[in-house]
Amino acid sequence: MEDDYYSVESILAENQKIQCTFKVDIPDMGHLDGGNERDIKALSKIQVPMWMAYILIYSDYADFTIPPPFSSRVRNALNAEARSVRLSGLVGQGGLWYGFGRMLMGLLNDIPAQELSDVLTKTFRARLPEVIDQAHHFASIHAAAASSSGNSGGSITSDEATIAFREGLDGTEREMFVLAQEGARRTKRWYETSERVRRS
Amino acid sequence: MALPPPLRTSVTPSELELIACEQLVEIIPLVAMERTAFISGAYGPLRPPAKCKVPIWMATNLKLKKKCHIVPPDWLNVDFLQDRLTRETTQPEFSKLPFRFAEIAKVLLDVASDDITNPEKVRSLLQDIREARQSKSREGVSKIDHSELSLPNLCAMEINEIRPFFVRSMGVLTQLVRPPEQGQME
Repeated sequence: MEDDYYSVESILAENQKIQCTFKVDIPDMGHLDGGNERDIKALSKIQVPMWMAYILIYSDYADFTIPPPFSSRVRNALNAEARSVRLSGLVGQGGLWYGFGRMLMGLLNDIPAQELSDVLTKTFRARLPEVIDQAHHFASIHAAAASSSGNSGGSITSDEATIAFREGLDGTEREMFVLAQEGARRTKRWYETSERVRRS
Repeated sequence: MALPPPLRTSVTPSELELIACEQLVEIIPLVAMERTAFISGAYGPLRPPAKCKVPIWMATNLKLKKKCHIVPPDWLNVDFLQDRLTRETTQPEFSKLPFRFAEIAKVLLDVASDDITNPEKVRSLLQDIREARQSKSREGVSKIDHSELSLPNLCAMEINEIRPFFVRSMGVLTQLVRPPEQGQME
């Protein structure tokens, strides 16, 4: 999420592709598109990874279009019900939708950037309670399953909607899920163990 | 950092318990002992049947050797907790409880349940209070903001439980919110 040089998440988020329209001819670079062309012609549209897009856009070789994960279709869906959008489906399994959005925000300026920031913030806040709820739910199920040891597995049931939501979590939300689950599990374990045995 | 990952996010419940055990509690000693110096301070003298204030760790130690009775703190009884539970379920904010009530109550209920009147009832009241407060702190999640979150009267154990993901999600929000433009600041 951060602009940290050593952050693996940051590097992974940069790996997302973004569509650029070149403004000038660039010789001998046709392989970027994976095509057979030898040169990149002006006005041709090519998907380039985010880390390359930076330099192309800043040095005014190319323009970019807002990539599909942040298209107005997705924004409308998020506005309607943020929890039913599968973020992981937009950026690939374990992808970093928020991280990607943040980088995009850096490329935009003023009003579009502010809009994107609002979308990201609103989505995160709308989805967080559900993430935490499910994490707590799972922590208690697992604790219960562990204590009844006999029939491990099979006791975990959840309906379609929650499964779909969980699969739709993006990388950042997964991290939250793990943190919340771990915290809840640890506290629960402490509440349930009797100290008598340890003390005497 | 050299700490293993699970310990990096916050302290463990048992560490909190250790800290809470430094607090003083009244005991009725069954043995006599001169005033004795410990690292955390000097306690005693123990003169049965006079009451004496000692740290909880010392009280539990003596209790397990059957050398004292513990006088439960004035908030650890059915009446007080019942009152707090009613407030907890009727009012939107967290009710005021001792900061480390969860840890102290658990330790005392574990080792000295025979010194507490109606321990089963106390236990179930504490459980109810905990659940009521938990659902409130969950509501706090929806109010989370990139810069601040105020949940007054939250207790040590509860803060510790929610700390890792509250801190992380506020960090994420800070990243997502656009910093004010330099031009606007001036």
